[in-house]
Amino acid sequence: MMRIMGAVVTGVLLLTTVVGADEAPISGTVKSVDAAAQTVTLESTVKGKTRQVVVHLKPGAKIVKFIRAIEPGKTGFVEQPLALTDLKPGWVVSVETKHEGNKEVAELVKVVLER
Amino acid sequence: MRGKTFAFLALASVLLVIVLWVAHPPASRANGEKDEKDNDKGGHAHVPAPLEYADAHVPLAVWTDPAMIARGKEIYTVRCAVCHGDAGDGKGPAGVALSLKPSDFRDKSGVAEMRDNYWFWRVSEGGTGEPFKSKGSAMPPWKGELSVQDRWAVIAYQHTFSGHQGPHVPWEHPESVVVGRDIYVMACLPCHGVDGKGDGTVAATLSPRRAPQPRDLTSAEFKFRSTPSGQLPTTGDLFRTLTEGVRGPGGVMTIGLRGYRIMPSFRYMPEEQRLEVIEYVKSLNRAFRERGEVKIVGVPTPPPVTPERIARGKKLYADAECLACHGERGRGDGPSAPTLKDNRELPIAATDLTRPERFKSGSRPEDVYRTLVTGLAGTPMPSYGDSLEPDQTWDLVYYLLSLSRDGRRAAGAAAK
Repeated sequence: MMRIMGAVVTGVLLLTTVVGADEAPISGTVKSVDAAAQTVTLESTVKGKTRQVVVHLKPGAKIVKFIRAIEPGKTGFVEQPLALTDLKPGWVVSVETKHEGNKEVAELVKVVLER
Repeated sequence: MRGKTFAFLALASVLLVIVLWVAHPPASRANGEKDEKDNDKGGHAHVPAPLEYADAHVPLAVWTDPAMIARGKEIYTVRCAVCHGDAGDGKGPAGVALSLKPSDFRDKSGVAEMRDNYWFWRVSEGGTGEPFKSKGSAMPPWKGELSVQDRWAVIAYQHTFSGHQGPHVPWEHPESVVVGRDIYVMACLPCHGVDGKGDGTVAATLSPRRAPQPRDLTSAEFKFRSTPSGQLPTTGDLFRTLTEGVRGPGGVMTIGLRGYRIMPSFRYMPEEQRLEVIEYVKSLNRAFRERGEVKIVGVPTPPPVTPERIARGKKLYADAECLACHGERGRGDGPSAPTLKDNRELPIAATDLTRPERFKSGSRPEDVYRTLVTGLAGTPMPSYGDSLEPDQTWDLVYYLLSLSRDGRRAAGAAAK
């Protein structure tokens, strides 16, 4: 009984830690793009600290910006796909990343602001 | 028995972990800003606007002007909705994953807490200023792309999402000045009174039946200003007065009180709190929001002091009849001095110009210049802004400052 309960407690603790750390949004300014390595380097500021984060794009990762729907009867925004090379330094993007190994890996990059 | 106790403790631990998780999720690995509580209002602490934006109040008519709101909608749809959402809920497609969430303009209480000058500052400067920069705000500054009128328009449209009708002002949203009100109650109320009319319980004991009395903050007359005669002070003027305090004329009861002030200096109050209390003080007087563009009296760079300039100033001192009140030697003992009264019909002393350390509006040449140009509203001290040229004003400034012991020494040094 004690072993089972101990295992449950440990499991829950581990689960909460893993779930809490596995996925996180990163938003920041594009500093550079490496099409060959499929990476985007972002400058991100959090809690007063600015740092550079290298985001690795998964094969087939989507990069999108949002434009107004132009089809009749449609309102709101629609996604417009972009290539990695379309991203320009200075643009602000948000990325949902997963921590794999020591890398931040992303499947979706959203352009927040082009400037 | 032991097994049951352990099971109970284990379950309690699990529950505790779950409760802690819900109440305060751990910071995310990469952006560290996963605290939903901090982000309730998009993480937007409604801090006071900095001084350069503190007077940027949105004109009252803008809030309900259909043309401005329509213009604001056009701008919002193109520039803001992608993050703030078409419905103003802060859930635009580009904004949902931002670490610092875009503001939800439908949040009535959140919007009510925002002052108009804060709003204008945020739209103008975006997330480039603190504390938003440190939180990783992606909000761009719009001042380079949107005119002042366009920024007013977009703010007026954003305001419509909150459902509030009418102008967005403190008398509609007292919660926007509640921090300043609490500071006022502790620090200002004893002299300035509950309603800011200068009738606090301590006021009557300060200098009974004599000026100066605590300022009636609801009136149109403020002595210490950088604005032209007849106008309200800037927020910066109020900030300076609050920070420096007001020096007193001295007297028997103040012997030994070096640096005696009739209004204390609040320089040790944190700047943010000083700005908050000033926003509350401004809320007591609607004219601060009803006035149009705030004009400031320019103070040119002080020219070098020369004996010739002081001599010209001495002549101006006589010609402008300064000596009628301040006396021939500037000691505040001119022939008119005993009869001087302020706008409350209280006797008021002419300033002793030989004691510049007691000048209420500052004793630097720039301060004296400003006082001569603006005058001191509510007192017999007139504005010389229309009657003296800037160069003449500097002549007079240097003569006035030469009346003190230190001034005579400085003038003597300049003569050599």
